[in-house]
Parts: sequence; C-alpha cells; structure tokens
Amino acid sequence: MFVSQRSVALPHIRGVEQRTAEKYTCYHCGDACLEDALRFDHKDFCCPGCKAVYGLLQESGLCDYYALTERPGVKEEQDATTVRAELFDLPEVRDKLVEYSEDGITRVTLHVPQMHCSSCIWLLENLQRIEPAIVRSRVRFTSKDLSITFREEHFSLRQLVELLRRIGYAPLLSGGAHSEGKRGAGVPRMLYIKLGVAGFAFGNIMLFSFPDYLGADTSDPQLMKGFQFLNFMFSLPVIFFSSTGFFTSAWTGLRNRMVNIDVPIALGIIALFARSVWDVTTGHGPGYFDSLGGLIFFLLLGRWYQAYTYQAMSFDRSLNDFLPLVVLRKRGSKEEPVSVGDLQQGDHIIVRDQELVPVDGLLHMGTGNIDNSFITGEPLPVRRNVGDTIRAGGRQRGAAIELEVLRPFEQSHLKRLWEEHSGSSTAQRPAMPKMIDQVAQRFTVAVILISVAAGSYWAGRDMDMVWPVVTAVLIVACPCALALSMPFAYGHTMRLLGKAGLFLRDSAVVERMAHIDAVVFDKTGTLTAREAYELHFEGSPLRPDEMRRVHALARNSMHPLSAVLAGRLRPRKNADPASAPSTHWVDVQDLMIPTAIEVHETPGRGIEGMVEGLGVRIGSAAFTDGTEALREAGEAHVHIAIGGMHRGYYVMRKRARTGMADMVEGMRRFATPWLLTGDATVDPEVQRAFHSEEVRTGCTPPDKAGHVRHLQEQGHRVLMVGDGLNDAGALQQSDVGISVSETSAALTPASDAILDARHLQRLPSAVQLTRRARRIVIASLAISLTYNIAGVSFAVAGELTPLIAAILMPLSSVTVVGFVTLAVTIAAGRLGLHNRT
Amino acid sequence: MGIIFLLIGASTVVAVIFLTAFVWAMRSGQYDDDRSPAVRILGDQRPDQSKTTNIPKTS
Repeated sequence: MFVSQRSVALPHIRGVEQRTAEKYTCYHCGDACLEDALRFDHKDFCCPGCKAVYGLLQESGLCDYYALTERPGVKEEQDATTVRAELFDLPEVRDKLVEYSEDGITRVTLHVPQMHCSSCIWLLENLQRIEPAIVRSRVRFTSKDLSITFREEHFSLRQLVELLRRIGYAPLLSGGAHSEGKRGAGVPRMLYIKLGVAGFAFGNIMLFSFPDYLGADTSDPQLMKGFQFLNFMFSLPVIFFSSTGFFTSAWTGLRNRMVNIDVPIALGIIALFARSVWDVTTGHGPGYFDSLGGLIFFLLLGRWYQAYTYQAMSFDRSLNDFLPLVVLRKRGSKEEPVSVGDLQQGDHIIVRDQELVPVDGLLHMGTGNIDNSFITGEPLPVRRNVGDTIRAGGRQRGAAIELEVLRPFEQSHLKRLWEEHSGSSTAQRPAMPKMIDQVAQRFTVAVILISVAAGSYWAGRDMDMVWPVVTAVLIVACPCALALSMPFAYGHTMRLLGKAGLFLRDSAVVERMAHIDAVVFDKTGTLTAREAYELHFEGSPLRPDEMRRVHALARNSMHPLSAVLAGRLRPRKNADPASAPSTHWVDVQDLMIPTAIEVHETPGRGIEGMVEGLGVRIGSAAFTDGTEALREAGEAHVHIAIGGMHRGYYVMRKRARTGMADMVEGMRRFATPWLLTGDATVDPEVQRAFHSEEVRTGCTPPDKAGHVRHLQEQGHRVLMVGDGLNDAGALQQSDVGISVSETSAALTPASDAILDARHLQRLPSAVQLTRRARRIVIASLAISLTYNIAGVSFAVAGELTPLIAAILMPLSSVTVVGFVTLAVTIAAGRLGLHNRT
Repeated sequence: MGIIFLLIGASTVVAVIFLTAFVWAMRSGQYDDDRSPAVRILGDQRPDQSKTTNIPKTS
C-alpha cells in the first residue's frame, strides 16, 4: 500500500515542478525528453525502454532506485558487444561464467559495465525481489562484476541474462578475457601489504631511533644495544619482504643488459642494510635502519601511485572482443548457436538488427542495411541485396538477414585487416626509452665513479675510512626522489587528462606525447560526428501539417536518411522554437502522428504512401519528379513530393565535431596537421581547417599507415587521431595513437589513448600539458640531484651521520613529490583542463 | 631500566597484532571494493516491501 501511495503522490509534485521549469526530463535515465515524451504513472519517459524498466521496478516495489541518486537509469543502447541471451545456453559460454554449481544452486559472475552509481548497486543487489529464484546477488563495484547465486531448476542462466538486459544492465561477454584481464588492473593487494609492512617497520624504527636523534645519554650501553637490536629486527621484513620488487626488477633489467632506475635503488638498499648491520655488529654506531625503512616506504608509495593512476581500461583488444562470440547457424528449420570459429563455408547464419556480421558472407535472404562504421567510421549504412557479398565487420541495421558463409572466420577480410596491423602492438613501436631510465644509467655510472674515487682517496690516508665513505656515498646517492618524480608527475598528468576526457594507456604515453611534431587526423568519425546532421530545406517551404505527413511516412522507411529525417521532423510538446532550432516542426497541441497507409518502399529510389488523404513520396529526384540539384561534397539530398507535386529537397550534411577547426588550429602550435580520408572528397567545413597540401583523399588503410611511416622516416614524431578499424594500422604505426570514441563501450581499435569525442577540442591543451609535465619532471630531477650532491658532499667527507641521512632522504622525496604534483595541477589549471564539463 | 624492554615488547606485540589484522583484511579482499558496502548498508535499512505490496502493472 505504501508504495502505491508514494508513487502517486510524489511524482505528481515532480511533474508540476518539471512543467514550470519548461523542461521534461526522463524519470528513468534523466535525459531531456526533447521529442514526444511518454507519459506513464504521472512521469515522463524518453523512450519505451526507460518506461518498461520503470514499470518493472515499480511492480517489484523497487522504486527506491530513483530515490538514491539523481539520474540512475541507463538508456538501453544496443551495440555490437551486447550479446544475444540465447548464447548463454551454450555449454562453452556457461562454463566460462559459472563458478560453482551444485544441487541446482549456481553461482555466476558477470561483467556489467553499465553500473555507475549507488542506485545501480542497490538495484543489482535487490534482484531477488524481481525474481524469487535469485538467492543472492553481490556487486563488486570497482571491477563492475556482479556475482549472482540462483536456483537453476527454476531459472536458467539465459533468463537471468534476459532479466538483466530488461532492466538496462546487459552483461558483457567478450571472449572470456574480462575475467583474467581485469584482475591485473588496479593496485595489486600485495603492494598494499608490502606498503603496510614497510610503514609499520618504518614507524617503529623511527621510534627506537629517537634516543639517537635527541643525543640521549649513551652511558647505558645495554639500552642502546637493545634499541639497535630492535631496529635490526624490524628492518628484516622491510628488506626481505617489502623491497623484493626492486631487486627483481633490477635483476631483470641487468639480465637484459639494461640499467633501469631500480639498479641504483637496489644498490642503495644493499649498501644501507650492509652498512647498518656492520655498524651495529662492530659497535660503530646505530646504523641507518630508519633511513632504510623510510626509503622503502616512500619508494613503495611511488609504486602505489603508479599502479593507482594506471587506467583500468583494456587498451589491447583482440578481435574477439568486438565480434559476437557465437552466432546463430541455421540448419534446415532449426536455429542453433555455434561459436564463430566453428563456422564452415556454406553454413547459413542469421544476423539480426544491430549485430555485427562476423564472417564474410553472401546475402541469402532479407535486405542488408550494413553500417560499416566499425571499419571506416562512416555510419551511413549501405544497402545490400540478395546475392551481394557482405564483408565481416559490418553491422546490420533493420530486419534479420540470412547469410551464406563464404569463408571461415580465420580467412575473413576483417581478420586479415586486423592482423596486418595489430600483430604485436607495443613491440613495433619506435624505441624510445623512458627518460628516467636514461637518467638512471648515467646516474649509476656517476655514483659508482664517485664512490670509487672517494674510496681510493681515503685509501691513501686512512684505510678505516674507506668502507664507511664508500657505503655512505652509495646510501646517500640512492635516487629515491628521482624514482618518485616520474611516477608522480606523469601519473598525476594522466589523472588530470583522464578527468578531462583523454584516457592514456600508461605514463610512457605522456612522455611520447610531449615529443610529437606531426599530427594525422582521420576524417569520418573523428573530425566529423558520427550521427549528427545539419539539415535544411531547399524549395517552397513546407507547412507544419505537411512536415507531419513527411514524418509519418519517413518513419516507415528503413533507409538511414529517412530515419534522420523522421527524427528531426518529430512533433514536440513544447512550443518554443528557440529551444530547438534544429527541429523543423514545432507543434503545440496536436501530438497525434497520422498513420501512413499503402506504404511502398523501392530500394534505391524512395518510399511512397498515403498520409491524411495525400500521397507523399520521399526519395531521389527521379522518384519525386524533381530535378537533380548540384551537390557539394559530403551532402545528401532527400527530395519530397506531396500530392504529386515536387516540393523541394532536404540537404543533409554531416556536421564536424564542435570546436574542430579551433582544435586543428591549436595543434599547429606544436605539430603539422595532416588529414587522411578514405573518401574521395572532403566536406568544405573540414577542408577549411586545413591547407590544401595537408589533405590526402582516397586513402586505403595501408595508405594511412604508409603515410605515418613516411612522416616518421622524415624524422617526425607522429600523433595519429582516428577511430575506425581502418585506422588501426596507422594508430599502431604512429608514435602516439589516439582513438576517438563516442560512447564508453564503443569499439575502438588498439591505441595508446582514448579520447572522449565530446572533448575533441581539448586535444591541444592535453598535448601542451604533457609538454609542461615533461619540463616539470626535468626540473624535479634537478631538485633531487641537488639533494644528492649535497648528500654526497657529506658522504665523501665521511660526515654522513645517521641523523643527516634520516633527514635528507625523506625531505628530498617530499619536496620532489610535492613540487611535481603542485606544478602539474597548476599547469593543468592554466590550460583549462580542470573541469570535466 | 629493564622495564622499558618489557614495555616495548608488550607494545610491539600489540602492534604486530594490528599489522596481522591489516594483512588479513587485505588478503581477504575487504579493501577490494570500497563503494558497494557503503551503499548496501543504506539499502538494507529500508523495510522490505517486496512481496506483500505488489501493485498493479498499470495505473
């Protein structure tokens, strides 16, 4: 009872508020309902999907979902990674997901990337209220995993998946890679434990070193010995447990004949420990155990930050992540799911709406309406008729089609295209050692030279001083601050860039990005938006009722341009034309959409039908008895005839992304821009941003990669910005490859970074920030070297007391970390990269 | 002065107990997800209104 009262009373108030604000937002997903909003239970919904989810939740008394967060719902979006629910019936898929199954009780773990807020967690953990067969569901938010225990005799895995899809949380199934791959991301537990142990030991050692720091009365040798012994005991877990990572890393580096930053660190650690043990056992002094604990603690802190900033994104993707794992094979009248790899030549497969064609095939039944945006970035689908070849990688839009498999998956066009370019991803990259390792090499050589020189100097005067001086040099020269500056500076840069919409693979990308001096853009899908069109009408203007007729007919068509037209001519509730300049028809009262009758669509020509007593035709010039008008590059014309009269045509042009021209202009400050496109001509809007000699049209995927290689041979460091699989080769070849993506779950080829398409105009600032970050690192290296030089001057003079070491080491680390973090934050603020919007 | 070692010993034992507790908590995965437990507690507080108060599908 309580629920029903609430759901009536509360939404009523909500509705009033919304009306006065002259804005309709979807109660479920929070999107603005620009067009005809659906009214249900006194709430507005933007689409039937959102309404259906609300209905389901309301029925189960789960409306608290909406009370927890502002706009919790997820609009259901189909993409290629959404998997058909029946595939979960397949034993091989089931085996991959099921963790435990006994006596009809089964536990599975599904990856649900859509969860994003408290409401999501709450709903997903209350699934048992919707479906009683679910015993328990638990969310692991950080990895976006959902563990569900359910009674399988009442409720199959497939039904479970269908339920999740219905409420907008479709689980992702990608080659099974997510379960192993995801675990590697984030900070490993072991690092936390090592950090905890090091911190624990460091604190205690400091405590027991206080008597020494304060110059306590040393008349009681018993007491001092006791403290030294305790310090020694506490240093054991630090050296034998917490610091193991540095030794293994240094050893691996040395075995590969590489001196990395961990080599001088390992040297310093060994020197510290050996000297301290020697001091204590020979009674020379209290040892440097406090410095040892502090050093390892700070170094691990750096390691932690590095792991923490590492993006938990999968940048290396295999083709299997994109393609449906399993397809429906038709055998006689039976449809059975089979895995893509098992498809044989001559098999018949069914590809439904929004699904990717996994193999090259011959269209056997139905009309193909293939969107190749995954391959080329071009979203306008192309029509394929029975008997035509459809290549793998295209996505069917519209009714299901039946294909005859031409060749097995392994030999398909897509597989070849993929393997040509992404054979080994990072190995092919032009070698550019990390700056820090270069510094480390010289540093190590310098340290060894200094310690040898100091040792031989003292050898001539006082043999007793050789060992203390040599170890002191090694101790104080340990490049702790040096090792910290890079992870903190670049890690912080990565974090800030991620907040601004550019997600980097790792901190090495920051450094490579700072060096670029040429930038190559792909056009379609990168500089132009995927689905945004500019629309205007040429001819005698249409009256609102005529536009309504056009809308009524256009919505029946399968053609993509009709879909654009139908969407833009939609009736709206609010009579404020200013709020929607892009929509052509604004009608206040009449939300009724008339029905088109006697609809007939002729593929390749147009669609005709009767709407409210008048014959309407939409299509080519010939189809509507009009005359073909001159078309600019990138334009499409849709002619309209009403009542047998040609009325004119809609000009549709793909829009460039916001701020595209400014962005290209901004990039000129660091790099020569190039535009490579597979199209024969370039839209004038895009063309204007480039000089004519910078544009290359008609590029095939190998051409793009070839051009990038050509630039590199001329000594340029190339940044490639692309989106489709046809850019994959160029993205791999380039020094830094950025793929532009519109949705988080979009198909992006392997790259170094992913740029949120809405923030394309931030690219110049992002590059600028990486350059600043590099300068900041260099400055911080200078600071830490100053500390080292100061320390070494104490050491060679034989005056490095444990107290000086204990102050110098943490001080240098804290200064360097503080400096780089602050400097990077200020730099990002100046470049306007602070806020997300 | 020997008493100080007894005190240090005692305090170290306590500290080691806490360290062990930390390592155990870490290993058992209690820090793996810092978001959902917080939300879980909010959800469970509300009365379970699921089965008895089902209302009609449409209104």
